[in-house]
Amino acid sequence: MITRELCAKVLEAAAATGADYAEIFAENSKNHSINMVSGKVDAISDGVVFGAAVRVYKGLRSVMATTVDVSEDGLLRCAKQAAQALGEGKAALDIVLRDRMFANIHPIRTVPSSVPNRDKVEILRTACRGAYAYDKRISQVTGSFLDVDQNILIASTEGIYASDRRVRTRIAVTALAEAKEGGTQTGSCSPGRRMGMEMFEKEVDAEAVGREAARQAVVMSEAGYCPAGVMPVAIGNGFGGVIFHEACGHSLEASSVAFGLSQFTGKLGQKIAGEKVTAYDDGTIPNAWGSLNFDDEGTPTRRSVLIENGVLKNYMIDKFNSRRMGMDPTGSSRRESFAYTPTSRMTNTFIGEGSDDNDAIIASIDNGLYAAAMGGGSVNPTTGEFNFAVREGYMVRKGKICEPVRGASLVGKGSDVILNIDMVGKNLLLAEGMCGASSGSIPTCVGQPMIRVSSITVGGR
Amino acid sequence: MDFKEFKALVTARAEKAGLADYELYYTSQESTEVSMFNGELDSFTSSLTGGAAFRCIVDGHMGAAYTQELSEEAAESLVLRARENALTLEKEEEAFFAEGGAEYPDVKPVEYPVLGAEALIQAAQDACGALKTSHEKITDRCSAEALTEQTRTSLVNSHGADLSWTNSVDAVVLSAVVSDGKEDNDDYDIKVGVPASLDLKAIAKTTAARAADMLGAGVAPTAACPVIFSPKAMYSMITTFASAFSAENARKGLSALKGKEGEVIASELVTLLDDPFYPESPYPQKFDGEGSPTRRKELISRGVLNTLLYDLSAAHAAGKETTGNAFRQSYDSPVSIQPYTLVLAPGALSEEALLAKCGSGVWIDFLGGTHAGANPISGDFSLQSEGFLVEGGKKTRPVRSFTVSGNFFTLLKNITALSDKAELPRPGLPAVASPAVLVEGLTVSGS
Repeated sequence: MITRELCAKVLEAAAATGADYAEIFAENSKNHSINMVSGKVDAISDGVVFGAAVRVYKGLRSVMATTVDVSEDGLLRCAKQAAQALGEGKAALDIVLRDRMFANIHPIRTVPSSVPNRDKVEILRTACRGAYAYDKRISQVTGSFLDVDQNILIASTEGIYASDRRVRTRIAVTALAEAKEGGTQTGSCSPGRRMGMEMFEKEVDAEAVGREAARQAVVMSEAGYCPAGVMPVAIGNGFGGVIFHEACGHSLEASSVAFGLSQFTGKLGQKIAGEKVTAYDDGTIPNAWGSLNFDDEGTPTRRSVLIENGVLKNYMIDKFNSRRMGMDPTGSSRRESFAYTPTSRMTNTFIGEGSDDNDAIIASIDNGLYAAAMGGGSVNPTTGEFNFAVREGYMVRKGKICEPVRGASLVGKGSDVILNIDMVGKNLLLAEGMCGASSGSIPTCVGQPMIRVSSITVGGR
Repeated sequence: MDFKEFKALVTARAEKAGLADYELYYTSQESTEVSMFNGELDSFTSSLTGGAAFRCIVDGHMGAAYTQELSEEAAESLVLRARENALTLEKEEEAFFAEGGAEYPDVKPVEYPVLGAEALIQAAQDACGALKTSHEKITDRCSAEALTEQTRTSLVNSHGADLSWTNSVDAVVLSAVVSDGKEDNDDYDIKVGVPASLDLKAIAKTTAARAADMLGAGVAPTAACPVIFSPKAMYSMITTFASAFSAENARKGLSALKGKEGEVIASELVTLLDDPFYPESPYPQKFDGEGSPTRRKELISRGVLNTLLYDLSAAHAAGKETTGNAFRQSYDSPVSIQPYTLVLAPGALSEEALLAKCGSGVWIDFLGGTHAGANPISGDFSLQSEGFLVEGGKKTRPVRSFTVSGNFFTLLKNITALSDKAELPRPGLPAVASPAVLVEGLTVSGS
């Protein structure tokens, strides 16, 4: 994309006013998605994201300038803008760029951006058909096939000159079922991987995706409203891990910890979660949705233990906030595209396996809720107040799973809820989502085995 | 390469490909943003971004593609990809482009000056200073941002439309973090305007006071009780369910308002307007994402659903006129149907009288998790809430960590009173201006 020589020139201009770090992030990405409604191709989004960002730091001050003009003039203009905004000073860095090759731990066989629409439509049609065929009560099915081919280049005054090609593919089906008492209920399923078209051979059965969405919609169409109150809740594996993502994960990101804006600031080495909780952020899982070879500042990703047996061990840290915190970056710096200022974010973040049997978890609940599938959620890291939606829930009475219930959401304060995780199962599963924050919308995995929260507020009616 | 040059290349390529119906849409945005943490400059961002979207109709289908790269190669690829995409589409509705020569509303953009780095730094510094002395419980973890942005939009098509528009915005964001030694709380406010003309001290005081009022919040008791939604809470509620007003969603069976035009869907106290020129909005719009003229319209008149929102294709399918609601967030967004500023007409009661009418219930200021805890199709919601208990017709203790549950379409019917002043709590598209609203028949779930 941009030669090493030009990068060196741009970094020199960017650091001309005394920056102690300068960086270029350039991108040329293809984003493609096909939407299907009622079995027909309804819309296609097809675009090229193209541009570059120049960042400089001086102490705890950070400046970023972005441009869609990546000609030599455009980049130098951008670099000068950044240098000027930093204030007055003299160049203090010696810039030598060395090619860096990172290991590619996410091999891709067939890049979807090189595949014609018809092949993707065929897979999408199979998925949607799977939903319609599941049950007569399915009244509407929508689906999407999404693929991203992101080509990036990072050059920094730390000497890195490296590029990467990040390919990801996702299929999503939403099914609507007519409810007994009128109206419709929704079910959805949306697996994705940092893979190409081969995802549909090895990992994801398109038809089963449609069936799962339909199964959920049908179950929920038969459900009554969830009762409201405080109760014990068993949360299923996979996307159930959104509880950790919201209740704890965001509050372990340096973007709030570094500013003292997290409930977990200054708590390293302290017990913050139930003893059975060991949690990880692992950007190195081969071909997982939230994985990367290296982060958006050129730091290799890693497997970090965030919490070990309930004790806080680490945060997720980007380069800039690592300065404020006096700690090393952890390969956690991420951005949606060049247009966003990167900051510390999650990759694949999950609670590890425990020793409880699923049956024992359900059997331990006298009167509570089993949240078999979760929807999304959100959190305010400062107060720790979070919420998330239960997509498929069942009442549990006297240790038995009973009737399905709909419309439930779980709310509480993160620091309380993770202390209340008192059982952890053995069936760890990761699930894919898009996580939104200041540096944009990025792919992340959540995950967990089945867990039990001894007490949580369930919103219902 | 500038847009003019790129436009010529795309037009030539489209003609060469034998395309007769096409459109090029372009946005270019320049912005600068300064952020300060506890009075220290923390980050400075300036950006030049934008791109072009090309749409063409082939065999009755509308194909599209976009790019941020403006080059000869990109122009060629843009046209070819849009054509391939058109050939893949199977949607039954006919596709249309706006005809040139239409009459457009006489509206002018609000012209905010483009601010330089020094003015922005000064504004953020002043805002941080104002926060520092705003409240006795304020901490040294407050931050402020000042920003200036200018967005230019152009739309040209093969039917003679040739339109352009510029929106500019200056704004200050204040984030207050308060603490009583036991717990922290935060709140923020965004104010659009030339920073020097804003009363930052007053904004900082109300923002910090709002955050401090919530310290020591308990949990609301579980009950079925009347609920008052503040203008900010109504903003979250209405934007979450606004997609129900799209005629396109109705046609696809993705809206509960399908087939309800002309029917009573809300309490007769409810009148809801969609206003592309709402005076307090910094984003007035002269033409929509397809190039059709925009206009004000009543969606709900005294409880009756007057009209849904239409673009050219949905209008044609329903035998109606477009309402000028084809919406494009940017060059990279698809054309969708969306309102501009939804204005819920105020009622007759002062805030005190509204609280008195409520008697015993909950006042909700904040709704969280609307992307997950609400189903825009069925209208069901169960949302994280914050606010105050209402006891004896007055706001008393702060409460949080509870949910409010119900159904939006039932809620519309159960509105029993509205306060007499509408507020626009957040600028944006879509936005919502609403009074405080009293609703019966909801469930609050807490302790």
